Amino acid sequence: MRSLTKLMAVTAVAALAVTGCGRADDTSTSGSGSSASGGSGSGGFAGDSLIGVSLPQKTSENWVLAEQLFKDDLGKAGFKADVQFANGGVGEQQNQIQSMVTKGAKVIVIGAIDGAQLGTQVKAAKDAGATVIAYDRLIKNTDAVDYYVAYDNFKVGVLQGNALLEGMAAKKPSGPYNIELFAGSPDDANAQVFFDGAMSVLKPKIDDGTLKVTSGQTAFNQAVTQGWKAENAQKRMDTLLSASYSSAALDGVLSPNDTLARAIITSVKAAGKPVPVVTGQDSEVESVKSIMAGEQYSTINKDTRNLVAETIKMVQALQKGEKPTVNDDKSYNNGVKVVPANLLVPVIVTKANAKEAYANDPTLSKLTQ
Amino acid sequence: MAGSAPILEMTGITKTFPGVKALSDVTLTVRRGDVHAICGENGAGKSTLMKVLSGVHPHGSYDGTIRFNGAEVTFNNIRDSEHAGIVIIHQELALIPELSIAENIFLGNEETRRGAIDWVKTNNRARDLLARVGLAEDPETPIKNIGVGKQQLVEIAKALAKDVQLLILDEPTAALNEEDSRHLLDLIRGLQGKGITSIMISHKLNEIEAIADAITIIRDGQTVETLDVREGAVDEDRIIRGMVGRSLESRFPDHTPEIGEVMFEVKGWTVAHPQVPDRLVAKQSDFFVRRGEIVGFAGLMGSGRTELMRSIFGHSYGTWLGGEMTLNGTRVDLRSVPAAIDAGIGYVTEDRKSLGLNLLDDIKTTTVSAKLKKIAHNLVIDRRAEHSAADDYRKQLRTKTPSVDYDVAKLSGGNQQKVVLAKWLFTDPDLLILDEPTRGIDVGAKYEIYGIIQRLASQGKGVIVVSSELPELLGLSDRIYTISEGRITGVLDKGHADQESLMRLMTKTSTTPKDAA
Amino acid sequence: MNKLKEIFGGDTRQFGMIFALVFLIVLFQVLTDGLTLDPGNVINIFQGNSYILVMAIGMVLVIIAGHIDLSVGSVAAFAGIVVAIAMRDWGIPWPVGILLGLAIGALVGAWQGFWVAVVGIPAFIVTLAGMLIFRGANQYVGKSNTVPVGEGFQTIGAGYLPEVGPNTGYNNLTVLIGILVCAAIIGGTLRNRRNQAKIGAELEDGMVMWIRLALISVAILAVAMLMASGRPGTSLPISALILGALVLLYGFISTRTIIGRHIYAVGGNRHAAELSGVRSKRVNFLVMMNMSILASLAGMMFVARSNASGPFDGVGWELDAIAAVFIGGAAVTGGVGTVVGAVIGGLVMAVLNNGLQLLGVGADMTQIIKGLVLLTAVAFDVYNKSQGRRSLTGLMMQNFGGRATKETAETVKQES
Repeated sequence: MRSLTKLMAVTAVAALAVTGCGRADDTSTSGSGSSASGGSGSGGFAGDSLIGVSLPQKTSENWVLAEQLFKDDLGKAGFKADVQFANGGVGEQQNQIQSMVTKGAKVIVIGAIDGAQLGTQVKAAKDAGATVIAYDRLIKNTDAVDYYVAYDNFKVGVLQGNALLEGMAAKKPSGPYNIELFAGSPDDANAQVFFDGAMSVLKPKIDDGTLKVTSGQTAFNQAVTQGWKAENAQKRMDTLLSASYSSAALDGVLSPNDTLARAIITSVKAAGKPVPVVTGQDSEVESVKSIMAGEQYSTINKDTRNLVAETIKMVQALQKGEKPTVNDDKSYNNGVKVVPANLLVPVIVTKANAKEAYANDPTLSKLTQ
Repeated sequence: MAGSAPILEMTGITKTFPGVKALSDVTLTVRRGDVHAICGENGAGKSTLMKVLSGVHPHGSYDGTIRFNGAEVTFNNIRDSEHAGIVIIHQELALIPELSIAENIFLGNEETRRGAIDWVKTNNRARDLLARVGLAEDPETPIKNIGVGKQQLVEIAKALAKDVQLLILDEPTAALNEEDSRHLLDLIRGLQGKGITSIMISHKLNEIEAIADAITIIRDGQTVETLDVREGAVDEDRIIRGMVGRSLESRFPDHTPEIGEVMFEVKGWTVAHPQVPDRLVAKQSDFFVRRGEIVGFAGLMGSGRTELMRSIFGHSYGTWLGGEMTLNGTRVDLRSVPAAIDAGIGYVTEDRKSLGLNLLDDIKTTTVSAKLKKIAHNLVIDRRAEHSAADDYRKQLRTKTPSVDYDVAKLSGGNQQKVVLAKWLFTDPDLLILDEPTRGIDVGAKYEIYGIIQRLASQGKGVIVVSSELPELLGLSDRIYTISEGRITGVLDKGHADQESLMRLMTKTSTTPKDAA
Repeated sequence: MNKLKEIFGGDTRQFGMIFALVFLIVLFQVLTDGLTLDPGNVINIFQGNSYILVMAIGMVLVIIAGHIDLSVGSVAAFAGIVVAIAMRDWGIPWPVGILLGLAIGALVGAWQGFWVAVVGIPAFIVTLAGMLIFRGANQYVGKSNTVPVGEGFQTIGAGYLPEVGPNTGYNNLTVLIGILVCAAIIGGTLRNRRNQAKIGAELEDGMVMWIRLALISVAILAVAMLMASGRPGTSLPISALILGALVLLYGFISTRTIIGRHIYAVGGNRHAAELSGVRSKRVNFLVMMNMSILASLAGMMFVARSNASGPFDGVGWELDAIAAVFIGGAAVTGGVGTVVGAVIGGLVMAVLNNGLQLLGVGADMTQIIKGLVLLTAVAFDVYNKSQGRRSLTGLMMQNFGGRATKETAETVKQES
């Protein structure tokens, strides 16, 4: 009986403790209706504050590297870092961001799985006084996103388009060239931008007959690769080869990233065809090896180190109450507002310039010796 | 050979389950070479005793000692006891339908050569074993293709494969027809000649009377007595007296039928097998039931008696091809179970556990389950009404249970059957069909269930009883129909029927070589 | 000590999932320095998991009836995209959009119910097909794009109860609902007791009952007060309100109505049920159809919370819903389970997930831990049943009018 009484007492005290406080911190503002808005970066915050970093699924080397860099470098800069992956999908990322808000993160850096599905959480972050930085992928349809930091994705596409043309010209001086087009996952806002960038170069050449897309699949929704998955790209390439290239030669393939590029090359090899000029992006280890071996033609170096470093610089500026660097405040309309963007310039890498491009990269520089 | 030294001595066996003392100081001595019967009502502790013996309840979970072949033994599992030469054949056969006879015989005991199964040896040994039990089947036949009687023989062959010295048979003939039962009993006697001792648990007292050398009676977890048949014959009444602790004057309660006009009539009822459309399980059947009358249906297994009853009960079996039904003077066409229940027909299934009960339910839920409407307002169940209805039937039928909130799975067979009866009485039927109402139920509970059936008839309801036990039909029914091969072959009044006349009609086959399809 | 055991149902082991839930909350409350019971976080737990719990309600009925539904995630995504597009392109108002979504759920459910109940194909196969069909339909209809939804619609996934009445420092409506729920539970228990007394059933110790009621009331009031004291503009989430209403509705249907009885009967022993006059085809059809309707509702709640419908909505949800049901004490073989148990099972997973996220444990470890918890919970139940005790979860649930997990027949059959 004694233990029972004790239990009752503890329960009662606990209940009072959790419920007794009311809206202590907000009673002053709740009457007036509008909550504290604390405009982005206006006042700064403590140097050892929590910074939340919510990353998408752990699917590529770049995200894994980003996780490591954020953890290490935010720590070195004096912040407390909370870096999490959302392997379980959008729902999990939503809950993660909410948890970061609960923990009182001052800045939340988000690499969105689907940039259009985080409105509620971003708003909650904003309402709680946190600054939201969209990392690599833009967050759409909300006014609660403060900054966007990424490589210039349209530029990536342009570089890929040019590399494809150069690569094919080097193999075969004059056209017409047979090519096929691949795009990324339709739920990733960047996929369309890459594709548009590349098409800004390729479209005129298709129209004047220099390039011929044998399958006729030139629209974005025909070229997409669901979920950025290698298996989907490989299957599509298999189909294209058997349908359109039983006799014709394939000169080039526009691939939006390295993973897909390698899948495409695997498919072509399996069909017993010579490897065409294939573009890429991300500078993945396997693709750099492939480039050095003369198979994949090009990749894009969007050094994650630079992107993370730039993001941390923005966080530091916010901490001091300064305005972070922004170099584009016109292009990135997310449907509700134009998000101020800090764009980094990507570099095209082929076998010719690989050595200098990766000079600063401890892993990749070894491969280019 | 140790001469007449007992092969098995169990002394002071006490086994307790949480809250229940299942066995209390039980003693069992079995002479070498005997067929030793164990009798007792359901719940008396027979099966528990056999589980202790065979190591299902491991050494240490009970008190007392077991001596086998003169030495004390401690079994921790079935493998241990089988190793010593004790094999138990359970009531529910433990054969795998998709495997062959030979595979089943050597299951868990495979004939191997360098780690791989030696099929030649397996099949040859299986053939030898099958010959020993008198079964002329190809060892490669799948179990599902042979009948229950033959499956029982395969079980015995399986035991022989393990070099059995003491064979325990738990209700071996419960699922068998007369002929298969006789064959099985002959086989047990044959094994006896080859030096195999058997312990047999059975409710069928006539079989025990016929075969046992000694009989041990257990009641409420205690040994009542051991009767030695060699010292003088033991008759059924003597056994019953031991089992229930009193002598039953009559095995059927007194009942004076008051028979009224015809209340239910079936004409030209014809039904095809659900999977084999050209096989008829009921052929042009005609019969009727009068108010206050108990009508028996006798037929061998597979004769189509259950199929006929289920077809009448809302077409719940097979494909109905024709026939009409009249209930209380009106022609009715009942094509679903709910329609049949609403019209006032109830059907107590033969297989209580797989067809009659949801073993997850408690007593009150089961009692009301066939007519929820009766205790519901606007589809919402009135739990007070449910509880009190169930409690009424508990009192009426004298179901032994602490309360109606008790799970049916925990009840003994007889009390489970009372709950099933309560469920059908609750639907307030005019016609109640009971299929094997006393199967697997002990003598005391049988008597009570006969009383319930007779009371129903006295209330002016029509009652149909289907049973494999002819004495039961003869004792209970006012009139008995016989069925053979899906055809009603005769009807006998109470005064004119005996086992022989019934059996003659039950085995009557049609003279016409082929039925018109 | 014995009294304490009685309060929780006869045995301290049988605290069940409620104990696990309280344990997890206390554990994380300590580990996270009080963040777990931060008002905002409590609101998040409900808002971020209501849609899974709504599906768990449907799923427990499907599993009680002896089936399974693997298609719920895809059905949710399909309903979500159609509703989002209908509202964007045809301009239908959002309440009509919700009705449309429920109608789609009913249609999809009728389709699946037809194959399961009428044709007799196992639900595992039918819904495996449905998983592919409706995932494809989602991506076909939405062209694999993300389609945003308007603010009105967002209420059902991201909205809160409004502020009314005087400024008390709390959200008044939330507090009011908390008090009403407590009053209803106390009133219901007392009425039940009176009824039991009338029919002469065995009554439990009065003090035990009052202490249990006190504990339940304190818990409910604590949650309500927490939610009411969150950041202004937040309060009891609408999604949690929907969930609560569904728990009451389906709890009632499953335990107190004829159709509820029939679902348990079909799952417990279909042949016996049919021979007792249960139309098992109709039961199977309704159960499958109901699941798809609730899946559609869950899909819409998620779209509302996400402000948009996407091509990968609902991936893996079926596993979360099924895990919740089994943690909540249902049996794979059917016939056993409770609505409240499933929701508590889902909350255990939700609190676990949330706590690990607050601690900054990575997604990989989180999955490992969740898998182990599922296994442990069910293993504990199985162990307890093999010991002849009633299931933990089941026992706790009987106080909510639910049906307890029962021992299997084998363990109690001591005598043939």
